[in-house]
Amino acid sequence: MRVLFYGRLAESIGAEVELDALPGSSVAQVRERLIAEYPEVEQSLRSRRSRACVGDTIVQDDHLLDAACTVEFLPPVSGG
Amino acid sequence: MSVIARLEEQRLDPQRELGELLAQPGGDGAVVSFVGIARPESSAGESVDDLLLEYHPVLTLKSLEEIAVEAAERFDVSRVRVVHRCGRVAAGEPIVFAGAASKHRRAAFEAADYLMDRLKTDAVFWKRESGAQRSAWIEPTEADYSDRDRWG
Repeated sequence: MRVLFYGRLAESIGAEVELDALPGSSVAQVRERLIAEYPEVEQSLRSRRSRACVGDTIVQDDHLLDAACTVEFLPPVSGG
Repeated sequence: MSVIARLEEQRLDPQRELGELLAQPGGDGAVVSFVGIARPESSAGESVDDLLLEYHPVLTLKSLEEIAVEAAERFDVSRVRVVHRCGRVAAGEPIVFAGAASKHRRAAFEAADYLMDRLKTDAVFWKRESGAQRSAWIEPTEADYSDRDRWG
């Protein structure tokens, strides 16, 4: 599974990682895997303002992911 | 009704954007605009040389469009214009232009206010300010979220 990051997450982890996740894993399960591998970004990944995105659509924690899909994790956003 | 939302990678010219709003007044009696400028100082008082506005290849423009459309639907305005910089913005340079035109002033004031409250918390950017002393990611404050929530 391809995982993309932005902002402070990309700075800490890198813009992209390959994750060996089980097919049918939920967004919440993938997040836990990431936190286990990259504990330094736990706070950002767990923030209630952070979002996950698949196919340019924001998805919820219970969204199930295909092993071949790309999932993006977006830390809290801010414009203006 | 006209809604324009744009992402600018190079330069934002607020006078040109305001000029576009003023150029076709139609039946409007009011134009209100806001320009956000990169501050030369962080909230902690440290000097800031520039602001990096990282963006998503799809979701960023989509978020600007959604915010602009929602402002146009919510208020009695005829035109809404949102232009946002991305990439590196030097301190003192404009980051965002938000403007609205309407028959009467109140709707245009409210639409511009709404646009900025939404952009601060919902526009898909990640901001990093850098200066001689430090570099830090900037996220909305609780006050920013409260400002957005007052619109329901």
